[in-house]
Amino acid sequence: MPLGSVVFAFVVGALICLVTGANPIDAYSGLLCGGFGIACAQGENPALQVSNTVVFLIPLITTGVAVALPFRAGLFNIGAEGQLLAGAIACTAIGVQFKDLPAVILLPMVLLGGMAAGAVWAGIAGVLKATVGAHEVVTTIMLNYIAQWLLRYLIIGGPLQLGAGTSTSKPIGQGARLATLLPADNSLIIFGLPASVFRVHTGLLIALVAVAAFAFLLWRTSFGYEIRTVGQSQKAARYAGVSVSRTIIITMLIAGAFSGLAGAIQISGVDHNLTDKYFTDTTGFDAIAVALLGLGSAVGIVLAALLFGALHAGGAIMQSDAGISSNLVLVLQALILFSIAANFVGAIRKGLPFGRKSADLPPELPPAAGLMSEAAAPPPEPT
Amino acid sequence: MGHKRLRFVGLVVAAMVLAAACGGSSGGGTPAKTFKIGLVTDTGGLNDKSFNHLADVGLEKAKTDFKIQGDVKESKTGDDYIPNLTDFASKNYDLVIGVGFLMQQAIGTVSGQFPNIHFAIIDGAGTDANGKDLQHTNVQSLFFKEQDAGAMVGAMAGWLEKNGKAKKNLHVISAVGGVSIPPVNHYIAGYKWAAKMEDPSIQVLVGYSNNFNDPAKCKSVAQAQINAKSDVVFQVAGGCGLGALQQAGQSGVYSVGVDADQKDADPSVIASALKKVDVATYTAISNVVKGQFQGGALTFSIANDGAGYAVDNFSLPAELKTELDKIQGQIKSGALTPPADIPA
Repeated sequence: MPLGSVVFAFVVGALICLVTGANPIDAYSGLLCGGFGIACAQGENPALQVSNTVVFLIPLITTGVAVALPFRAGLFNIGAEGQLLAGAIACTAIGVQFKDLPAVILLPMVLLGGMAAGAVWAGIAGVLKATVGAHEVVTTIMLNYIAQWLLRYLIIGGPLQLGAGTSTSKPIGQGARLATLLPADNSLIIFGLPASVFRVHTGLLIALVAVAAFAFLLWRTSFGYEIRTVGQSQKAARYAGVSVSRTIIITMLIAGAFSGLAGAIQISGVDHNLTDKYFTDTTGFDAIAVALLGLGSAVGIVLAALLFGALHAGGAIMQSDAGISSNLVLVLQALILFSIAANFVGAIRKGLPFGRKSADLPPELPPAAGLMSEAAAPPPEPT
Repeated sequence: MGHKRLRFVGLVVAAMVLAAACGGSSGGGTPAKTFKIGLVTDTGGLNDKSFNHLADVGLEKAKTDFKIQGDVKESKTGDDYIPNLTDFASKNYDLVIGVGFLMQQAIGTVSGQFPNIHFAIIDGAGTDANGKDLQHTNVQSLFFKEQDAGAMVGAMAGWLEKNGKAKKNLHVISAVGGVSIPPVNHYIAGYKWAAKMEDPSIQVLVGYSNNFNDPAKCKSVAQAQINAKSDVVFQVAGGCGLGALQQAGQSGVYSVGVDADQKDADPSVIASALKKVDVATYTAISNVVKGQFQGGALTFSIANDGAGYAVDNFSLPAELKTELDKIQGQIKSGALTPPADIPA
C-alpha cells in the first residue's frame, strides 16, 4: 500500500508536469540528484546532496516515531511539532545558560533536557485524555500553538533573545553541540569541497538508536504489548488487567520525549540557536506522513523519512536544474498522503474497515489508528 | 512484511537506475564568458509580490543586458538556506545572492567555506551566530534606507488625516510589521516620524504578526488596529502583509503596500513604499560582470533612487503632491533625515 501511494503520487506528479508544459524526466532526475546525488546534470556534488538529505531526514525519524508510537495505542499525536519546539527551547535554554560546561556534561544535559520538555508537553495531552477524556487531537494541536507562541515570546523580547531587533536566540555553548561526522574545517578538502559543507552530524546515530529503541519497546517489552492491546481494544485491555489511562499517559510521555529529542538534536547538531525559522517549521507535521507511510514500523519510518528527506533536499535542485517550481515537491507529498487516505476510504466502503487479525477495534478510535492496525495485518496484495 | 519492504527497496533502486539512465545527458559544456548568477529567495518565495519578486526582476533585467546564466532557488523553510547557497557556491557560480535579513547567518557560514566565491545579501551581512558581521571580503551587503520610503508614505497618511481626506479622520493610523527586525522597523520609523511631522496630533499604532508568509496572521493584526480606529494600515510584512491590505479593504479604510508596488493586491492600497531591491540586485550583478565587485556595504536610498514611493489606487490632491515633492527633495538633499529607530 505505501509503495502504491508513492508510485501513484509520482505518476500524477508526472502528469502535472506534462500538463504545465514541463518535462517530468527532467523534474525527477533533478529530484534524484538533489535527493541522492544520482544523475546530476549540472555538476552538483553528489556527496553534498546525500549529506543534505541525511540532515533533513534525522528529525523526521524521531518525530515519525513520536507519531507512530501513540498510533499503536490508538492515539493520534498531531502535537509532534509542539513537542519538538519544546525540546528545542529546553535544549537552547540549557545550552545557553550553562554554555561553559564541558561537552561530557553539557551534551547529555541538553539532549535529556529536550526529551524531558517534549515529554512534559505531550504528557499534558496524555493526562487530559486519560483523566477527563479530552481528545488528544484537539489538545495536541492547541499545544502546538502554545509552543509556537512561547517560542516567539522567548526570542522576540523574551529572555533568550540575542539582542534588540533580532529574532534569534543566543547561540548554545560549544559543549552543547553534536559533532559533525566529518571535521568542520573550511580548509580541509573532502569530495572536492571544504569538509565543513557536509553537515551530517552524530544526531543520525542517536536517531537510529531511538528508532531501534522504539521497535524494541513495542515488540519486545510487556509495556509495548500493553500499548498494542490498548490500541486494539480498550475494553479487552481493561479485561486483561491493563490500566488504560496509565498506558495512555506513559505512551504520550515517551512519544513526547522522542519529539523533544528531535528538537534538541536540530539545535545541537544543525542550528546551534533558535531562529525565526522555527515559527514555520513543519517537521512535526511531515512526521505524520512519515509515520503513516512507514506503516508505523521502525524500518518503514526510516525509509519514509529517507523519501521525505530526499524530496525536501531534491526540490531546490529540481527548481534550479529543470526550472520546475519546487512546489511540485509539496504536491508530491500531498499526493502521497492523499492516496494513503484514499485507500482508507476504500477500506471503509468495502465494509472492512479493519484488518483480518484485529477484528475487534472499537468504533470510537480515530481513523488513523484504524489505518495503522490495518497496516499491521497482512494487507491485500496490490499485484 | 519482509518481502514487501524488499520490494519497496527494489523499486526505489529501479527508479533511480531508470532516471539515471534518462537524465544523464542534458549537461553540456558552458561557453567561456558566461557569468553564472545564483539567486536564493527566503521563505517568502518568488510570488511574494515583494522583495523576493523584485530581486528576480533585477536578475531578469540583468539577463537581458549581460551575458549571464541566472538560476533561482526558492527556500521552502529556513532549513534550506544553507543547502541552497552551498549548492550554487559548490558549482563555482560567479555571484550568489541571498535575499533577506533572515539569511545573514547562512551567508556568513557559506561565505567562510567558499572564500573564492562572491556573495551578495539583500538587507544584511554575513554574520556569525551572535549576529556579528564577520566582515568577509567576499560578501557585499546591499542595505536600504527603508526609513526614506516609510517617511514618504507616512507623510501622505499624516497629511490625509490632518486635512480630513481619509475615511474616518480620527487621527489614528497603524503599521503591521512582520518580525521586529531592523529592515521592518526602519520602514515603521520613517512612517511614524513623517506622519507626526505632518499631523502632530496623530497616533500611530504598531503591531507585529511574527510572520512573513501567512496572510491570516497579518489580517488579524490589522483588524485589531482598525477596531482601535486606525484609518490607514501600512503593511511591512511581505507575503503575510497581503492579508493586512485585504482587511483594510474589507473594513473600508486605506492601506499602504511595501517593498514593491502593490496596487494590484487590493483596491484599498493608496500607495506603496518602495524598496528598489531590483535596482540593488541589478547593481550587484553588473558590478560582478564588470569586475568591480567589492566586499562591504552598499546603501540604497532616495538619494540614489534605491528607495521611494508609488501612488496607487488614489488620485493625489495637488497640495499633497506639492508637499510630498518638497519632502522628497529635502530627504534627497539631506535637509531632512528620517530616523532609523521608531520614535516614541
